[in-house]
Amino acid sequence: MKFRRSTALIIAKILVKILRITGRGGTSLPGKLALLIYPALLSDLAFNTEAIIVTGTNGKTTTSRMISEILKNAGLSFFENKSGANLISGITTSFIENHHLNCQYAVIECDEAAFKTVSKHLNAKYILVTNLFRDQLDRYGEITHTLNNILEGIKNCKEATVSLNADCSLSSSLKDSISNHVIFYGVDIPLENTDETLSDAPYCIKCKSRYHYSFRTYGHLGGFYCPSCGYKRTQPDVSVIDILSVGKCDSKIVVSMNNTTYQAVVNLPGEYNIYNALAALSVGIAMSVNEQSMIDSLSTFTGGFGRMENIILNHVDTHIILVKNPAGLNGVIRYLSNLNDEMILTIVLNDKFADGTDVSWIWDADFENLIRIMDRIKMIYVAGIRYDDMALRLKYAGIDQSKIFKVNNYNQLIDEISDDKYKNTASYVLPTYTAMFDLRLKLTKKFKLKNFWK
Amino acid sequence: MELNICHLYPDLLNLYGDGGNIIAMKKRLEWRNIECHIHNVTLHDSFEQDKYDIVFIGGGQDFEQEVILKDLKGDKTKRLKEAVESNVCFLGICGGYQLLGNYYQTWDHHQFDFIGALDLYTIGDKKRMIGDFVFSCPDILNLDVVGFENHSGKTFLGNSVRPLGTIKKGYGNNGQDQTEGARYKNVFCSYSHGSLLPKNPKLCDVILDTALYRKYRVNINEALHDEYENEANQFILNRLL
Ligand SMILES: [Zn+2]
Repeated sequence: MKFRRSTALIIAKILVKILRITGRGGTSLPGKLALLIYPALLSDLAFNTEAIIVTGTNGKTTTSRMISEILKNAGLSFFENKSGANLISGITTSFIENHHLNCQYAVIECDEAAFKTVSKHLNAKYILVTNLFRDQLDRYGEITHTLNNILEGIKNCKEATVSLNADCSLSSSLKDSISNHVIFYGVDIPLENTDETLSDAPYCIKCKSRYHYSFRTYGHLGGFYCPSCGYKRTQPDVSVIDILSVGKCDSKIVVSMNNTTYQAVVNLPGEYNIYNALAALSVGIAMSVNEQSMIDSLSTFTGGFGRMENIILNHVDTHIILVKNPAGLNGVIRYLSNLNDEMILTIVLNDKFADGTDVSWIWDADFENLIRIMDRIKMIYVAGIRYDDMALRLKYAGIDQSKIFKVNNYNQLIDEISDDKYKNTASYVLPTYTAMFDLRLKLTKKFKLKNFWK
Repeated sequence: MELNICHLYPDLLNLYGDGGNIIAMKKRLEWRNIECHIHNVTLHDSFEQDKYDIVFIGGGQDFEQEVILKDLKGDKTKRLKEAVESNVCFLGICGGYQLLGNYYQTWDHHQFDFIGALDLYTIGDKKRMIGDFVFSCPDILNLDVVGFENHSGKTFLGNSVRPLGTIKKGYGNNGQDQTEGARYKNVFCSYSHGSLLPKNPKLCDVILDTALYRKYRVNINEALHDEYENEANQFILNRLL
């Protein structure tokens, strides 16, 4: 078996190199092949590394990057799986690439469906479940099914401390089914008074009565309680008790943890990133990282792949934000509504497996909220495999067709949105998962950007 | 003129972008200067069948269907059946479609009784039928309807109900007899969820026309500019046929 193990390792390492040289990223294929040759490889490689597994629907990548920042500033040795390589093959590739470093920790972003398998192989000491929203239902089936998958995954890791979102009625219900030590994080105050109609979980997960809310933060998150069976939000161990400002580039918040309050700057815009920051703090607390050092890390953090990336195309200030489900998209639209800039918007909709093959989710997102800011939006470009569906959605949201530009070719799209006429205009690009990779590859070539897998 | 659309259980049966169908009906009425009012009717609300010209029922998860069954018992079931029999226009999608039938039998032989407004029943299967699909509806309009289906229930039609269309590509009602959806009086049912009506504007207009004719004895005669709609429709046709 030793022979198979080393063969698997060597072949995978060579493959990683070749794929890099040919510019293909090589994030999952080497691991896939190595596991075929030697199925126990991941368990073997992961044995001596304490894993921090981040799963859940929204915010996995950003939160993983924030945790990395916290570990880096605390002087701890770690590696992370990059570029959303979050299935077992991609995670195995990460362990292959990094095992010579002998890191103490691995920060592993893990797909929620893959989690129950991946968690069998890793030496998980910390597990974070960010939240549960409806996402790619054609892949996972029902949301309660996803919840059960995560539960099974946690049950593989009896030793792990589990961080849960107190405001999410779905994921926080896991607490009652596990014996692990649990740390809750949450936002103690309402985030914004929007007419939020979208709730992925209006009815009690335990008894099916309608929840009441003492306040709401976003989607189904907030101060829920069930008048019928008494299931309610747990007062979190790490919480936001005040929001001082929500700006274009960052948010200033007051955090309470371990009975001490701290002022913190979350160096990413959008209210949803406040949750990501809290989630990262809760993991830091579980690891007993110095609190002030964690708070400082939030302000030095600069985003992850495609999660609010900022690049200059020609002279146009361009922001790329991954979108993949209605709750996330609504968060982005709310963020854009709070800006005062003139802007152009680009939405790139694909329907490959990783995007979800069903694009009907765009009808659940509130594109109608763009109407209020259409005077500031010069043009909305739509691209990607399903650009016809996207354009149609915008038309039915009430957006004038003269402001919708359909373009089914990335080169033409890039020429359009990097044109000099937009040099004083902010450009926001919202791609789905595979669309981001496709677009990023074209941008890398054209503007000599940093390779995304580095 | 005005039409009143009842959205039944909008907070529960709202899976896979079913709200898109409401948006499409509303917009296509408004573009023709016909008023449109949406009435949300959910748990514990009364269903006043005389108020509505169109009743829309979307799809849900099993978790939510159980809550609904309790609520439907008695008065609501009676009123819904009366509405169907008095030719109120209905659009039932996926779970909402199944709900109008007689019962649902799970793959492990548990039976849930539904409202029985339409003579059809559904048998659960372990395998899901998922993907883009195309069906033709020769008897209402000469066109190919495109959509996305995602269901594990196999629906079989009784004698008084006819299918909405014939499958050209995909599974449809049960993956066996090439039928898709159901038609009975002014009821339209389909497994095509999400953006069924936006991407099939002619089908949307047939439903609106049916409701308008019932109420005002007039037909829709104003065509709209449907380039985007037809392009989105054509994309799926090109992909599948
Ligand atoms: Zn309850």
